[in-house]
Amino acid sequence: MISRFKNALLNAVGSPVQDSSNASTVSGRGGGSSSSQSTSSSSSAVPHSYSTPHLNGNSETSLTNKNARLQQPQHHGSSDYSGGANGYQERVKRYEYGRPHFLQLSSPDEIAVTADHIVRPIIVPRDLTHLPWETGYAETINSGKSKVNEDQARMHAGFVKLEIEDGESEIKEVKIPYFYFGVFDGHAGPGAAVAAAARLHLIIEDKLTEVGCHLCQEGPLCDFSLKQSKGKGVMWFPHTNITKDSLIVGALESAFYEMDELIREENLKYDGVNGGCTAVVCLFILGKVFIANAGDSRSILCYRDLEPVPLSNDFTPESERARIRLLAAQNPHLLGMDFTSNEYLRRPVKRDLGSKILYRAAHMTGWAYKTATVEDLKFPVVFGHGKRSRVLATIGVTRGFGDHELYAHSTAIKIKPFLTSQPEVKILDLVEDSLLEDAVIVMGTDGLWDVTSNQTVSRIIFNTLDQFPQLDTGRYKYRYVSAAQDLVMYARGKFQDRNWKMNDGSAATIDDISVFVIPLGPYYRDAVAQESLTSISLNSLPNTSLVSDNGSCSADSEIQSRSGNEVNANVLASNTSATNNNGVSSSSSFNNHNTDNVLNGDADPSVEIVSEAIDLDMDEPNH
Amino acid sequence: MSYAYLFKYIIIGDTGVGKSCLLLQFTDKRFQPVHDLTIGVEFGARMITIDGKQIKLQIWDTAGQEAFRSITRSYYRGAAGALLVYDITRRDTFNHLTTWLEDARQHSNSNMVIMLIGNKSDLESRREVKKEEGEVFAREHGLIFMETSAKTAANVEEAFINTAKEIYEKIQEGVFDINNEANGIKIGPQHSPTSPSSPSGGPGSSPGSGCC
Repeated sequence: MISRFKNALLNAVGSPVQDSSNASTVSGRGGGSSSSQSTSSSSSAVPHSYSTPHLNGNSETSLTNKNARLQQPQHHGSSDYSGGANGYQERVKRYEYGRPHFLQLSSPDEIAVTADHIVRPIIVPRDLTHLPWETGYAETINSGKSKVNEDQARMHAGFVKLEIEDGESEIKEVKIPYFYFGVFDGHAGPGAAVAAAARLHLIIEDKLTEVGCHLCQEGPLCDFSLKQSKGKGVMWFPHTNITKDSLIVGALESAFYEMDELIREENLKYDGVNGGCTAVVCLFILGKVFIANAGDSRSILCYRDLEPVPLSNDFTPESERARIRLLAAQNPHLLGMDFTSNEYLRRPVKRDLGSKILYRAAHMTGWAYKTATVEDLKFPVVFGHGKRSRVLATIGVTRGFGDHELYAHSTAIKIKPFLTSQPEVKILDLVEDSLLEDAVIVMGTDGLWDVTSNQTVSRIIFNTLDQFPQLDTGRYKYRYVSAAQDLVMYARGKFQDRNWKMNDGSAATIDDISVFVIPLGPYYRDAVAQESLTSISLNSLPNTSLVSDNGSCSADSEIQSRSGNEVNANVLASNTSATNNNGVSSSSSFNNHNTDNVLNGDADPSVEIVSEAIDLDMDEPNH
Repeated sequence: MSYAYLFKYIIIGDTGVGKSCLLLQFTDKRFQPVHDLTIGVEFGARMITIDGKQIKLQIWDTAGQEAFRSITRSYYRGAAGALLVYDITRRDTFNHLTTWLEDARQHSNSNMVIMLIGNKSDLESRREVKKEEGEVFAREHGLIFMETSAKTAANVEEAFINTAKEIYEKIQEGVFDINNEANGIKIGPQHSPTSPSSPSGGPGSSPGSGCC
């Protein structure tokens, strides 16, 4: 009868549907209140002491076999097929729909309340111990366009665990702590977003584990390359480019690809792994934040007294017009009979046939005249502007997971070839940046960003934070949650005269909204204060850093773009240079460490080299 | 479990008057002396019986702090009943009732049933607001009135149930348009949806769906 947020059974969102034999595990974990009480006293921000067991949710419980979870994703679901004994196999659900695990909403009653389209309640975590650093989160549902909230979010605090051989052939375990935040905006059903929230962090952890020995290697990675050269005679490795950063970037990129493949496979086998979703991820590891984005969700960095800095670029038909049109021009068969890779100033109609029209082909950036033919009456592969731009007249987002079975409206033309799961990864070096104490990262779905500029987001956050003075001990810890709540409140607006309106009377978003407000101070302070971020002491690092060609770690290499879009590094450089003078000296040991990893701005080619190196490493064990 | 009607309630009033404790007492039958600040909205549900009919109460517990007032206001919409709570040991919480009431009247539907509650009746020795004052305020503004104690559970059941009775009577009188969910009333599903999403008890049934 009774369902309260606080006392509800922990049933993590997206936990794979469990068979009855697993049910006892679930109820055994049910003491939500007791476990949260035990951790609330130790809500330290120190990664090492941050307790994770209750954070892991059910999905991890049922996915302890790490290899199996990647290679045989259906392994524990085999009993789900018990109904198919007579040859009839009913498609079963792969994931249970829910809300993010840290909200601790599990009963259908609670889920139903979050889906109240009339009120659109703003849901915040009741128990802050389920997120690190008093991180804020808030969400609300759309105004009725879909039955459930199709956004999902995930936080995971975990470790990359390694066993490393000591000099004296002793094996010691090394743990590299990391914090993962993910936001996923689903479309055409909640399935892909639920799957991504349940699985992506696990895949990333596996990918990180594969390169873990290099991540915790003391000193630069040339040892790695030298070893390769010795064994294989592979002398051409430009080993200065194989940085720890590029290995983490590679882990994220390969994990995004695998997540998309996983959804494709599971969608064929199971019910409800349908639709698609965007993904933006912030991975805190080794004193840096890696921001991987595929889609039109967004992540920004807000300083108290400086302009906010984008940590991701939005991938929409508009922003990816060039890529999509080129793809279309090179693969005309993907367009069927209905679409053209050309673009027209004004879409030609029948009476334009034979007359001159302004157009540009995929190989052009400017405009030229051509004589209109029947071919030109086809629909442009990218059409519309801004939020209304669409690929194949169907989809408004061009990166992310899923959509494997999506067709252009009333055609047999597949959309998926035009989409990619490839994230753009940027790197924020906290230690190098000596970030201001109260800088925050905001991650949100487009429900927020459609109606709220980066500047407004930043202003709202610091306005709210100012209302929670540190002396007000009862309320202080809620400051980031309150900031997230205020952001959602602003973007959702109020219901007036049969519409959702913002304070100034303009239209508010009718979309789902999900927002993380992540303070950087605690992680930054830990990174500086702790002697090491791993259990290996970095103090003993030799000062033989792979300093990049320009000889120093200037601010303009702090954020790098990895996949071709405009780099905002200059913006950041101008913003952070003011803060760079204080604090560098206080983190010298990390400076040594991190200079090893600084990538050059032109490092894109190194990605391929790195992945090649990893492949070699995996296929051919070192001698 | 099937129900004839679902009524949506909202609990409002100054911070610290015991809104969350009233909800906890009603849904969980327990008292939690130290309660965290409510920052957003919390939620509880319980089934009651009126006139032989199963009625599900879905209760939204709001933040009382001034800083969250504009968010709280957005929850009035779609509530059939409101519990307006003050603390009998803190006169200021009584003095603020007019503001709360204005807020409620302005942002809710006009038929919303409002129950005025003077909470913490167990703390007689620290009483600052006489029971008669509550009664007078309620009479003047057309509210139902009760004094309760979330700690001893005195009158807590009655407060929630009497509000439901009033709503139920209004439905009988045809005052509420029960087909408009924005009025905070939902007609229950015709058939008992014991486990709508999965074969009962079989493999693959959701562990979370057994609740309520």
